[in-house]
Amino acid sequence: MKKIYNEEENKFSKMLKDLKDLPKIKAPDNFEYNLSTRIQNKNFGTVNEREPQFNWIKFLAPSAAVVSVIILFFIFLPSSQENNNQLLQQTKLQNDQSAVNNSLSEKNKLNSQQSVPSDTKLQSNSTSLLGSNNTTARPRALSPLNDSRSIKLDDYISGSNKNQSNTNRGNIVNNGEEPSPYDGFVVSEKPDKKTLDRYRAVVDSIKKAQLKADSLKKVQK
Amino acid sequence: MNKLLTEFSDEELIKEYQDNNTPEAYDILVKRYKDPLMNFVYRFVGDRDICTDVVQDTMIKFYLNKDSYRSFAKFSTWIYTIAGNLAKNELKRRRRRIIFSIDNGDDERSPQIEDKMFLAPDKAADGEIRNEIIQNALLKVKPVYREVVILRDIQDLSYEEISEITGLAIGTVKSRINRGRAQLQKLLKHIYRE
Repeated sequence: MKKIYNEEENKFSKMLKDLKDLPKIKAPDNFEYNLSTRIQNKNFGTVNEREPQFNWIKFLAPSAAVVSVIILFFIFLPSSQENNNQLLQQTKLQNDQSAVNNSLSEKNKLNSQQSVPSDTKLQSNSTSLLGSNNTTARPRALSPLNDSRSIKLDDYISGSNKNQSNTNRGNIVNNGEEPSPYDGFVVSEKPDKKTLDRYRAVVDSIKKAQLKADSLKKVQK
Repeated sequence: MNKLLTEFSDEELIKEYQDNNTPEAYDILVKRYKDPLMNFVYRFVGDRDICTDVVQDTMIKFYLNKDSYRSFAKFSTWIYTIAGNLAKNELKRRRRRIIFSIDNGDDERSPQIEDKMFLAPDKAADGEIRNEIIQNALLKVKPVYREVVILRDIQDLSYEEISEITGLAIGTVKSRINRGRAQLQKLLKHIYRE
């Protein structure tokens, strides 16, 4: 082992000689004077400062705060989710209802097509169209805008919504953070008397035509 | 009394200072070690002003923590350990400062003598320049190897003493010295051509 190190030293012999011959650096003349004045003035600078040791309390206190905030966040988050779910459930119900209505109207359509001859098909189509018109009018009745989940501006301005609880208001605010599934507003419009009369006249004429058709069938038989 | 103290060994002096708080014992130890420590720290750090500060801090640490010295260890290894640790801390601080300084980051990092590394061999033979080149090459050696090479080849300490100062096993000290020498030789290949 010693041989190896001796061989290594021989390999570096020139360099080692130069390293040993490097000029010796000496302390400045005022080194001791400066040192004694520093000691007398107790000017120890950063020498006496120890590096801060790892402190468990200092580490745990902020981490506990962060963890508690996260826990609180998860405790209060589901309530707002439930609120959202209620809204979604409501809309789902409405969708289901409209789907059932559509299927019923389609069944009716099929039945009428089977029973009514070809020349009366047009009339039945028009009735089905009317029927669909009736279904389009339905969303107004099944409006997703629940009173408990929306603010009526008129009531708010007049101050008549004081009975609304704070939790309800909070829910409304919470839901405001989520994007609404409805793109527009549902405008509650009072029907015009003239248009109502017109539609009634159309329905009556269709009913009369159906009666005539039935009577004709009977005569043919 | 003073004459007697100057004849004391290092260990006797520190014991005198610890037991009787004799300031003369402290002064004698400072006188004995200021130059060797200056040489060691300068070769390690490469800056005279910083080196003076580090050695001053070493002596102050010795003054403040005299009781932390235990008599089973050699005083020289104890004081070299303090100086070595302070020098390493200083290097770390400087490195951090260089990283965070935006204005003159690269200028500080590259040694000024860099160009002289490519001098012609006859010019490199010139004593002063040669010493400067060696010093700059030494600063480029990894600090872990640099420390042991300086302690062994410049300060002339034994492997046992270096092992005590660095807290490493003798085998590790020897291998680190070898690696450090190899790195240095590689950096100075234009001088030590075979």
